Amino acid sequence: MKCTRCKATAHVALPSHHSGFCKDCFPLFFTRQVETAIRREKMFTHDERILVALSGGKDSLALMLELHLQGYDVTGLHIDLGIPGSSDKARAKVERFSEKHGLKLEVFEMEKWGLPIPDVKAHVRRPVCAVCGKMKRHHFNRIAVEGGYDALATGHNLDDEVARLFANTLRWDTAYLSDQGPVLPASDGFVRKVKPLFRLSEFETANYAFLKGIEIHSDPCPYATGASFTGHKELWGELEHRSPGQKLQFYQSFLKNGKPAFAAVERETGAELKPCAECGSPTSAGTCSVCRIRAAVRESKAKAEA
Amino acid sequence: MITVNLEPDGTVVELPDTRSVHAVLNKLRLRFTMALVVRNGELLTPDRKLKDGDVLMVRKVTSAG
Repeated sequence: MKCTRCKATAHVALPSHHSGFCKDCFPLFFTRQVETAIRREKMFTHDERILVALSGGKDSLALMLELHLQGYDVTGLHIDLGIPGSSDKARAKVERFSEKHGLKLEVFEMEKWGLPIPDVKAHVRRPVCAVCGKMKRHHFNRIAVEGGYDALATGHNLDDEVARLFANTLRWDTAYLSDQGPVLPASDGFVRKVKPLFRLSEFETANYAFLKGIEIHSDPCPYATGASFTGHKELWGELEHRSPGQKLQFYQSFLKNGKPAFAAVERETGAELKPCAECGSPTSAGTCSVCRIRAAVRESKAKAEA
Repeated sequence: MITVNLEPDGTVVELPDTRSVHAVLNKLRLRFTMALVVRNGELLTPDRKLKDGDVLMVRKVTSAG
């Protein structure tokens, strides 16, 4: 197979784009896709400050490097979850990556905040992945708001977005279907959230990370138990194989035809948000779920120690 | 014989009578947009031919969780 652009030997075949690229031309394709996403969705400008959530995986690190190379004012944010044998490795990779490329990095430690994820696993009955995700989103938003950032960027790719949309559709979850998309505008207490990799598949991001020499944290979380999204991704992998381009079409058609209808329903029936009585973060309850979980863990630990 | 180092599993698989990247992925039951295939640091497309003794790294791209 030859490179569509320069006719050298191709290194990456992309059936969904009816093309293939060599190692030098593929990063250009990747850059164009990110530029298109930012421009068409009006995500942010070169005058704005962007906080990038960094887990240590290929997607977040590829996003951080690409935005930096495109000249954006980016700062990385890593949350150290405090999981023994796992969080220290992820953190070390993020720190090495940031140092190597001269990138600004903030690290927030769950343990110092008083709630390492092992405590959540031990003291909360709900699935640990759901609670952990909630905690991370809370802190990403809080740190972005407190730091005066204009937008919070995450490394969600097309496969992540399609798997999530598929799960939301299976449940016909009106609230989630009303605001899923590559941009969530800022509102009271919430920073603007953007997903500049939404046009790129996990395969494309993995190729970019490999070609850029990004050392990634690929060990699965020891607490993950084969989340349903992984199964959905496999199903979609089969569909995409039979009909290349279907993922992007499904997602983009939802944004154009489906989302506005769900947003209209949610405007009529959605819950009103007010500041949390304890931390001030927006919530539909008096005290937000993060503060409630924190209090529940504190209470459970005190009981166990008594 | 083709030697395949599978990532992130960390396992090694030996495949006899396998002459292309496409055949390797078929034997591993992977669609070709589900994994990177690398030989001597070079990414390979599914149509690339292999020779006896080649050592490959096959990295699955779907993140767990």
